Amino acid sequence: MSKLTIGFIINGQKKIIETTPSTRLLDLIRDDLHLTGTKEGCGKGECGACTVIMNGGLIASCLVLAPQADGAVITTIEGIGSGGHLDPIQKAFVETGAVQCGFCTPGMILAAKKLLEENPHPTEEEIKRGISGNLCRCTGYQKIIDAIKLAANRLSSRDGGRGEKDA
Amino acid sequence: MHQRTVPCHFFAPQKIGKALEILTEYGKEIKIIAGGTDLLIQYYDRLYEINGWLDLKNIKELKEIKIHQNQMEIGAMVTHTQLEKSEDIKKYFPVLRHAAADIGSPQIRNRGTIGGNIVNASPAGDLLSPLMAYDAQFKLLSLQKEALISAEEFFIGPKKTILEPAQLLARIILPMPSERTYGSWIKIGKRKALIIATITLALVVEMDEDNKTVKDVRTCLGSVAPTPIEIKEIRKKMVGKNFNQLDFNQLGQIVEDKISPIDDIRGTKEYRKDVAKEIMINALEEIYSARRERDY
Repeated sequence: MSKLTIGFIINGQKKIIETTPSTRLLDLIRDDLHLTGTKEGCGKGECGACTVIMNGGLIASCLVLAPQADGAVITTIEGIGSGGHLDPIQKAFVETGAVQCGFCTPGMILAAKKLLEENPHPTEEEIKRGISGNLCRCTGYQKIIDAIKLAANRLSSRDGGRGEKDA
Repeated sequence: MHQRTVPCHFFAPQKIGKALEILTEYGKEIKIIAGGTDLLIQYYDRLYEINGWLDLKNIKELKEIKIHQNQMEIGAMVTHTQLEKSEDIKKYFPVLRHAAADIGSPQIRNRGTIGGNIVNASPAGDLLSPLMAYDAQFKLLSLQKEALISAEEFFIGPKKTILEPAQLLARIILPMPSERTYGSWIKIGKRKALIIATITLALVVEMDEDNKTVKDVRTCLGSVAPTPIEIKEIRKKMVGKNFNQLDFNQLGQIVEDKISPIDDIRGTKEYRKDVAKEIMINALEEIYSARRERDY
């Protein structure tokens, strides 16, 4: 298979990388960039474990060819929060017990992030629709929904959810 | 320094003309890719079989929704999310908007395109019955010719269309509906998100100036035949009649009788026939209420 070179910005960093025409974006992210927070579940766009944000939209990275991401701006779970400081959404997931095995969590958090960006005060129905592309098999949907509500409340409060320092 | 020794088979031209040249040169050897939400599933375990790709993502004019000379023109690369969010689609083609909003999940709607949905030609393709109900025509381009084909002529079987290897679906053209046009969209599936439809119905009714007499009607269904279909007998029964005096039950029965569904993992033939009748009645009732609301 012939090679080609593509470039994109991922988590704020510019990357120029060699790949092949039929490499999936998911494999490039995990195997070449070693950003293993993005998971492969079904590989067919149904589970949402491979969710990333590309050019401002939620996408399933298992259904995108790496060269299709040439010139794109991508955020993976590694680009949310930083080191010891959790994003308010991540913090809410921890506090409400919305993480059990953790496999769906990166995708769920990115879906929540995107939802709250577009709709800072979602109803329960809107939350369900926002995470409808993400499966959780630990049956933790209620806690995930609670976490997103908590994050929404904090983000819309006066300090924008940034006030509290993490331990 | 990296030297390309083999020609690289990933094309992402910025102009339609260039895309058509590539298609003419490589034809069947390469796959046209739009959102990839069907193609990458189809080739999940055999991506290595594909020798090359023609990605349409850089062709800006294929991503536009615009009204031009009393027609709605939708570029083939318009995503389901774009359809869902467009004010013009919401205002003039609500059945299409609802169908787009019901597709897959946010992740799928952000990548999947109207052109991909059409060319993939699944009998269960969610946008296909609404497009047929709005009397859509597809503009197909090749280096040699330009063709305008109706939805009805385009689909010839499950996953089969008349599209030739050197042809590209560029645009979807819908006549602008009159002000007294009403529509209903019903999708039946086992869950709300990420479901391939068991059955879909797109009903579009145009009233005369009195807002009572039926001027035209298109009753189109998906997942009940090898291609999306229109039930033309409904038109014979409804056109020229006062909408208030129609026998909804009888119209539902006609839909049930005229479809030819199969048994599959999503539902049995009998189930689909029963449901087809019921959703037709529900759609007529929905239009009945919407029309009365406008009157009073």
